[in-house]
Amino acid sequence: MTSTSRDDRVVADARTPLRVRLQHAWRPFRESSRISRGLIFSGAGLIVAFLLLALVGPLVYPYEGTQYRDEVSPGTFITFPELAPPSAERWLGTTRDQFDILARIIDGATLAFAVVAVAVSIAMVVGVTLGLLSGYRGGRLDRIIVTSMDAVYAFPPLVLAIIVSFVLAAYISPGVPSAAAAVGLVYIPQYFRVVRNHTLSVKQEPFVEAARSFGARNRTVLGRYVFFNVVQTVPVILTLNAADAILVLASLGFLGYGVQPPTPEWGYDISQAVNDVAAGIWWTALWPGLAIVLLVTALTLVGEGLNDVINPLLRARGKAGRKIKAMPTPRREASDVDGERLAARVRDLRVGYRTASGPLWAVDGVSFDLKPGECVALVGESGCGKSSMGRAMLRLMPPGGVVQGQVEIGGTDVVTASESEVRKLRGEGASLMFQEPMTRLNPLQRVSDHFVEMIKTHLPKTSREQARAMARDALVQVGIPPTRIDNYPHEFSGGMRQRVMLAMSIVLTPRVIVADEPTTALDVIVESQILSILERLRVEEQVGILLITHNLGVVAEACDRVAVMYAGKIVEMGPVDEIFTNPKHPYTRGLVASTISLNTTELRSIGGYPPSLVDPPKGCRFAPRCPHVMEHCTESPPELTDVGPDQRAACFLYPGAGQPVPKGVVVPSGDPQVSGI
Amino acid sequence: MKVGSLGRYIAQRLLLAIPMVFILLTLLFLLLHAAPGDPVTATLGGRLPPEELAQRKEALGLNDPIYVQYFRYIGGAVTGDFGNPITDPRSVVQIVLDTAPATIELAVAGMLVAVMLGVTVGAVSGRLRDTPFDIGGRLFGILIYAAPVFWTGLLAQLYFSVNLGVLPSQQRAGGFDAPESITGFYVFDSIITGDMAALGNVLSHLVLPAVTLGLLVGGIFIRLVRVNMLQTLRSDYVEAARARGLKEHVVLFRHAFKTALIPIVTIMGLQFAMLIGNAVLTEKTFTWPGLAQALVNFIGARDYAAVQGIVTFIALVIVGVSLLIDILTGLIDPRVRY
Ligand SMILES: Nc1ncnc2c1ncn2[C@@H]1O[C@H](COP(=O)(O)OP(=O)(O)O)[C@@H](O)[C@H]1O
Ligand code: SF4
Ligand SMILES: [Mg+2]
Repeated sequence: MTSTSRDDRVVADARTPLRVRLQHAWRPFRESSRISRGLIFSGAGLIVAFLLLALVGPLVYPYEGTQYRDEVSPGTFITFPELAPPSAERWLGTTRDQFDILARIIDGATLAFAVVAVAVSIAMVVGVTLGLLSGYRGGRLDRIIVTSMDAVYAFPPLVLAIIVSFVLAAYISPGVPSAAAAVGLVYIPQYFRVVRNHTLSVKQEPFVEAARSFGARNRTVLGRYVFFNVVQTVPVILTLNAADAILVLASLGFLGYGVQPPTPEWGYDISQAVNDVAAGIWWTALWPGLAIVLLVTALTLVGEGLNDVINPLLRARGKAGRKIKAMPTPRREASDVDGERLAARVRDLRVGYRTASGPLWAVDGVSFDLKPGECVALVGESGCGKSSMGRAMLRLMPPGGVVQGQVEIGGTDVVTASESEVRKLRGEGASLMFQEPMTRLNPLQRVSDHFVEMIKTHLPKTSREQARAMARDALVQVGIPPTRIDNYPHEFSGGMRQRVMLAMSIVLTPRVIVADEPTTALDVIVESQILSILERLRVEEQVGILLITHNLGVVAEACDRVAVMYAGKIVEMGPVDEIFTNPKHPYTRGLVASTISLNTTELRSIGGYPPSLVDPPKGCRFAPRCPHVMEHCTESPPELTDVGPDQRAACFLYPGAGQPVPKGVVVPSGDPQVSGI
Repeated sequence: MKVGSLGRYIAQRLLLAIPMVFILLTLLFLLLHAAPGDPVTATLGGRLPPEELAQRKEALGLNDPIYVQYFRYIGGAVTGDFGNPITDPRSVVQIVLDTAPATIELAVAGMLVAVMLGVTVGAVSGRLRDTPFDIGGRLFGILIYAAPVFWTGLLAQLYFSVNLGVLPSQQRAGGFDAPESITGFYVFDSIITGDMAALGNVLSHLVLPAVTLGLLVGGIFIRLVRVNMLQTLRSDYVEAARARGLKEHVVLFRHAFKTALIPIVTIMGLQFAMLIGNAVLTEKTFTWPGLAQALVNFIGARDYAAVQGIVTFIALVIVGVSLLIDILTGLIDPRVRY
């Protein structure tokens, strides 16, 4: 039996500590799209309207649902008309039984709320109790309950409800309790699953295991955490169940197994209208149905909206296709005419995203050249915009992202070229390798399909056999047996998948390869294999490589030049040797001092964190963390300036960065250890 | 692909289905025997003399201890004997054979409508996220889900049958044009007998119920396909496919859309239960002489034996369908087999 379910997707992770959870409780709402919030509010408004109708309506409206005559004076009755169409007097008309339809709608609403409230309570109490018990006790009991719940869940809810009401009818006369029991039973499994899953996951938490040794506290801890997690999930299930329950109740009524006729109930009323329809009478069927549609829609809107908010995957992170406005347009430099042919030429490149906390420039004016056969390393802390840069080289933007500036590859300006030109370039003129090899291949396609599809897109005249031959060549180059060409991605290890990706990157011999941390997820042996393949391409095929990496060891081994990025800008650029032995920018010094690995934890040697890109510092972006910060550093941004042969840095410590170095400031010496950063 | 892994996978699924069947049948047995008294008295009490009632009870084995009845029930269900109704001379199996084709025909036609609607609108909605088309699609999905199928059915009858008079609203075929029944699947029957008048007649009767049912289930598909599409569209391999310079329609269809459909197969299995529930209502609305209608009638007659038999059959079909879906998923998605 399959275990996918509607509620699985709303099951939240139970591992975050309580306090953090509370702090972030409101955040999803803030970050949710306006549409989600609109859904929730309009739905909630409708529900309130129906609640008013159900609670206040019976008091205000003069007639009752089962009333067919009115006492005008004591003892004198006027019977209501039969099948009167809607009029000023009887807004919704009357039924064949001379009932006032509006009165029946109102009473029907009262009944619906009563039944749903009882039904959902039954389901919740039973489901939560069983879930706690099953998850907490585990073992055989758990397995039996789970399978039973799966069985109930798999069974058609309506048929189940019919059977239950059928059996119950032998004990009690049809009414709210029996209808509620029939409707409620159906939803037990959903609460059960959520609670059981949370209980299980919380039970395995180390702190609960620890608490276990203290005996009694164990249950309190468990209860509290399960409760908190479930409370997050239950509103969604609850509203969606209530919506369902109203439909099931109406269906029972329509089939004649609901409450005792002629109690006003929307489904029953529709069943009474069946013959009217054949006679062309519309109002008896229309109104009760409309009431159902509106109330169920309202509940669904709230449920869906809440789910959108709670489920982060669906939360909008920037809106598709919309341009970021109110951002400065870039300066455009004229192309150098003299220079040698470049593999890639990047000028004033900017990458912007629209995020929940505001628009930001993840890459903010980056310029550099990549020569054929050259390997440039791009280093910097996580979040400084390296991947954004890499993607921008191919204009590969997620929804809500924009690229500005200039990226020239093989005579095409990637930023302004037409969609089809850029597409042509991707994979053929420039390849992009990603960090995570595990998820980059389509799980449903064989490796050969990936190759054939790509080769035939770029070289339409190639036959399938030729394409496969090319693919086999490329696989051999990266050290994968060509016999494995027809395997599926999941049949390869991570290292092999990355080599498959590399083979795809080189199969059309591009002039540029952008490799975004291609070896981070892999072990050192695979890493050096991949680096040596890149090295060979660089030397033999004159491919220009932009290697994004965390690993300074890789930089030293494989690259000619290094560009150091900080908060969206290049702060220093120069030959590998110079950067390692004679770093100029205080940030570079910090990086080199922390040696080998550049991940954030190591960078604590500098202290602090990169600034927010939504509202970056006005002057030098490194100023808040810089040990050499000067007064004017916070006033205007430094420009890249020559600090050595072929070496440039953006720091006011060096003349030419925009401001003279003030007297008394000692330019740090070459050795980062000595300079004490 | 290695046959072995698929075979092992199927065997595994089959093994998992066995406890499921067992528990489902046990629950049904307990549920139906929770009612007081015995089925014969409940059904025929007051209408037959007491001696005859006792005789019937004896004949049906209702005087046996409950566990004997239980094992007889399970044994029967497993060997394809669903018992005999109290109020109908036919066996439950015969009733199923007589009425199930109508239900299957309706369900298949409804599923077709649902899949076509749900997959296209859902996929386009996901692609055009937050555009008017998307919002319209989502709203339609929610509204149609919120509308009881018998109500939309009645409104459709009112408009197309009563007001316009273009489509029939009752039964599976009308007048003298009903096809000669061979398999019980009228569409199929009229095609193999080459009776085009009957085919037109049968199809025109099928339109309203199938579309009514299909719209409802389609509404759910729209929502699910859309969410899946949103997820695959932002998946790593879709980005990687773009990075290889594939054409946008290839990226969308071969990479995003196809994987977005895998969960749909699973969901189709889950929706099957819902489809049955709604088939009950649709059959009643359109007086469609199917299995669900038969069940409703037996419930009306309080015929426990028939209800138990039919519901047992439905339970087995549900387990079977979910097994089938699992196997289908295994065929489509190579990862599942491991
Ligand atoms: N799709 C996106 N939408 C919004 N913001 C993004 C997106 N991708 C990246 N960012 C933001 O841009 C900044 C740079 O990210 P990234 O380019 O991935 O940096 P790096 O690769 O150096 O870690 C980060 O602050 C990140 O939050
Ligand atoms: S410009 Fe000022 S703050 Fe920025 S790195 Fe140089 S010295 Fe530090
Ligand atoms: Mg990155």
